[in-house]
Amino acid sequence: MSLEFKKVVIAVLGLLFLSSLVLVQKLELDRRRVEARLDPEPVVVPAASRQCVTCHGEATPGLVDHWKGSKHAHKGVGCVECHQAEEGDADGFDHYGARIAAIVTPRDCGRCHPDEAQEFAASHHARGGNILASLDNLLAEQVEGSRVPMSPHSPTPGREEGSDAIGDAVNGLASAQVGCKQCHGSKVALLTTSGRSISVDDLKPDAHGQPTNRAPLADLERSEAGMPLFDPGTWPNTGIGRINLDGSLGSCSACHSRHDFSARRARQPENCGKCHLGPDHPQKEIYEESKHGVAFRDLKDAMNLDADHWVLGKDYSQAPTCATCHMSGNTRNGGKVTHDPGERISWTNRPPVSLVMDTDNKREVIKEIDPSRRAELLADGGEPWQEKRQRMQDVCLHCHTPDYVTNFYKQYDDFVVLFNEKFAKPGQAIMKALRDQKLLTPADFDEQVEWTWYYLWHHEGRRARHGASMMAPDYAHWHGMYEVADRFYMHLVPEVREIVERAAADGKKAEADAAARVLDEILARPEHRWSRPQ
Amino acid sequence: MHPTAPSADLEAAHAGLPRRRFLATVSTTAMTAALLSSYGTFAAMAARFLLPARERRTAWMLVSDVAAFRRGTTRTLVAPAGERIVVARHGDASDPAAAALDDFVALSSTCPHLGCQVRFEPQNHRFFCPCHNGTFDPEGRATGGPPFEAGQSLPRYELRIDRGLLFIRVPLEGVA
Amino acid sequence: MGRLAAGLRERLPVNRARLRELTNEPVPHHLKHWWFCLGGTPLYLFVVMVATGILLAFYYEASPGRAWESVRFVSEQASYGWFLRSIHRWAATLMVAAVVLHQMRVFFTGAYRRPREFNWVIGMGLLVLTLLAGFTGYSLVYEQLSFWGATVAANLTENVPLLGVMLRRFLLGGDSYNEHTLSRFFVLHGAVIPVAIVVLLTLHVALIRLHGITELRFRTERPGTPRFFDFFPDHLLTELLIGLVLMIVLCTLASVLPVPLGPRADPLSTPEVIKPEWFFYVAFRWLKLFSERTAFLSLGAILLAMTLWPFVDGSIRKRRPDSEASVVVGIAAVLAILGLTVWEASVAH
Repeated sequence: MSLEFKKVVIAVLGLLFLSSLVLVQKLELDRRRVEARLDPEPVVVPAASRQCVTCHGEATPGLVDHWKGSKHAHKGVGCVECHQAEEGDADGFDHYGARIAAIVTPRDCGRCHPDEAQEFAASHHARGGNILASLDNLLAEQVEGSRVPMSPHSPTPGREEGSDAIGDAVNGLASAQVGCKQCHGSKVALLTTSGRSISVDDLKPDAHGQPTNRAPLADLERSEAGMPLFDPGTWPNTGIGRINLDGSLGSCSACHSRHDFSARRARQPENCGKCHLGPDHPQKEIYEESKHGVAFRDLKDAMNLDADHWVLGKDYSQAPTCATCHMSGNTRNGGKVTHDPGERISWTNRPPVSLVMDTDNKREVIKEIDPSRRAELLADGGEPWQEKRQRMQDVCLHCHTPDYVTNFYKQYDDFVVLFNEKFAKPGQAIMKALRDQKLLTPADFDEQVEWTWYYLWHHEGRRARHGASMMAPDYAHWHGMYEVADRFYMHLVPEVREIVERAAADGKKAEADAAARVLDEILARPEHRWSRPQ
Repeated sequence: MHPTAPSADLEAAHAGLPRRRFLATVSTTAMTAALLSSYGTFAAMAARFLLPARERRTAWMLVSDVAAFRRGTTRTLVAPAGERIVVARHGDASDPAAAALDDFVALSSTCPHLGCQVRFEPQNHRFFCPCHNGTFDPEGRATGGPPFEAGQSLPRYELRIDRGLLFIRVPLEGVA
Repeated sequence: MGRLAAGLRERLPVNRARLRELTNEPVPHHLKHWWFCLGGTPLYLFVVMVATGILLAFYYEASPGRAWESVRFVSEQASYGWFLRSIHRWAATLMVAAVVLHQMRVFFTGAYRRPREFNWVIGMGLLVLTLLAGFTGYSLVYEQLSFWGATVAANLTENVPLLGVMLRRFLLGGDSYNEHTLSRFFVLHGAVIPVAIVVLLTLHVALIRLHGITELRFRTERPGTPRFFDFFPDHLLTELLIGLVLMIVLCTLASVLPVPLGPRADPLSTPEVIKPEWFFYVAFRWLKLFSERTAFLSLGAILLAMTLWPFVDGSIRKRRPDSEASVVVGIAAVLAILGLTVWEASVAH
């Protein structure tokens, strides 16, 4: 290499060096812009999902925009990463080169978020679908709707013919599907060409979520694109206890709405308030009445809701939200979030008579009355309610002194016990007496007293207890115990008396007397004596 | 002593030819320019690295209730970043609650000459710097010593009065 | 102008002819082969390390409470901090690689043979110092692996015969990792080792100048090829060229693969996998194959053998002048080192 040539090479290399430094400067300026939050964090579209984003960006632009605003997008978690389906999955289908499924279940989310999925699966939220076997279901499906085939009363003008026709049958389950199940979760079902819908009950999935009984899959009804069609009564649905085709329970998007899966939103009370509101469990309204809610509304903007870590006492302390007390981390528990809100609850106020949350090794509430049997169940991998209360108190103690917290819990306990002893247990005993003496028809909700008792414990009694638990005096009292008392004295007692009188008149004297005795014994107690005619 | 390479001879032989000399000059110039510009840019980046961002955050800090601050007195306070500040209130012995911002002055205790701490001498009605005998009037203007010769004064801080309370604007960062 | 020059010459009485003679060393023609420039490469990278190291030291704070935070400041807030830190780290990697390649080149071309044995020993010293610089440097970042790696290494030094315990206490500034440890590592990394490298480097280059570069001839050379060429400007330009190539490589690496900052050291929580820097993988794997003391002492013996190899080779060749034993041993050693390094790199434990 001649000297001149060498010098020229050096000149060229020097320019290359200079241009690489220019690139470095550009990187530095970009870094400063992101640091100064002038640029939003970049969206990373993984290669496998590029086609999805392009096509769906035109077909469903809002969906893609939501995703672009999510943390998933910043970290390169795209469409395929969540929607991918295995070969054997019941609802999987081929879509432009990728095998996907429309529904993303907690099993899918749990691939990257195993701890959260596990905690959630053990929680009562995941069992929200159990309502399908309860009294509430009866109300929605039979009382409000129809469990037997129902024909229309008369044709609907404008929808007599064509594919839009209302047709011969009315969907008697519509109220349950649009109401209860949208919060509690449906049992996801696929349509078959024979008209039947198949769900987990037919598919019997194994531990990996794949169906062991593959016969029903042979005649699935599919769209033109090959996608299995869902029974419209079961999908769309993001109920928190949804029973999925792969056997997993629940829906993460119930709280982490898709497609931005915002943690910020999940931290705010309005998120929980989608389901935790209304006459039978007005937690949202109760929170808004309470001082906690008032403080939150005022100081929301300073509470670091966007932060990666949201630990009470460290990242914020202005006010608690639902998440703060029931799930989020705080400085007393190492900042650890739990996706099982039941871990911090000491009373369950859901049943007619509140129970303490002693749980057995299957995390079910112990209903045993016998103390030694209870102790046995607790010792065998169970957990006493006191431990759960301690976890909740760890949150309270961030802002309140121990004496304050102890006294509050005494107030709360006293209220629950008062409700239990004055109204709940007596009411339960009275209704049991009526049923035992066969003074009621076998069907539920066909008699006034059944509705009365239902209102007393399921609506008014619950709101009273919830109001006490979260410091909302108006819900505890006027919307609560006052209405309970009114219901009990002005409705339940007179209705029971009427039933007893009519039974006696109908010739069932012995049964009527037995029932009346139960009622009289209750009303003879000191706390009820004021109500009896002097 | 080893014989030198022939390249030097070649160069010498061709030194006379104008085209070769032109190419040699061009290549040398290009090389030098490229080297200087590229390493120079690197050095500029290193220099920028060593100069941290200039922002110095400030905040308002409470000094005193105006009514409690007697006229003709001074108070010394220490800013969050550690510097000592002398706040003085002038004026006669009339109603101390009648607050006018002009009555107050907040001066740094750091002498602008070489950075020593000045002291207020009420008996001499002046600020005195012990290092080189610099003196300043109560408004902070230099009256003697090296600061006077350099036409310097004590640095001032911004003050404000809000509902009978006196506030001073102080920088927040420092060594403390 | 002439008076200025005359004035300078009076105050700096350098004999220009003598200076030129001293510095314009004739460079043997074989250095026109690029892979003979592997000696200049680590030297250039050392200069880069010192320059970037000095810049970083403006912000680094050598106390356990502040170290990681100061590195974070450099990486995330200081202008071009991420860039300079990445250059520093990548240049370290490249420098170790270059030193090793250079040593291999010297070995396989037999340039360590009589009378150049001392230079080989000095070179070994430079290798050890470079590796120590890499180790101490990484310990300063106070990431999890910095802390635990330093703890493990300090514990290993106990195996040095006689002096082990004292050496460990010296390294840590106490009986265990404490508030003095980081300052020690900083002084070692920023002052003691660089000064030692400069001293050894000076001796290394001086010895080269004194001996002259070993003349080598290649069978493929054309006849009539000049045997030497000038250092100025020829070889200097070559070195400049290499320097630029290295800068471009470093800038590219720093931009495309910037150095991340791992989680802060937690003395109460040992990570699942502790590994030293890559250039220590071979030693780490060796230590796992035998008991601690055996492995440590055998490593010492191997290092000693490497250092004294020119003399060993000399005595072998005294008996059998055509012996290729060194080459064979060299190839075996390279393969072993590569094998152990790759083995350690591919497994977690």
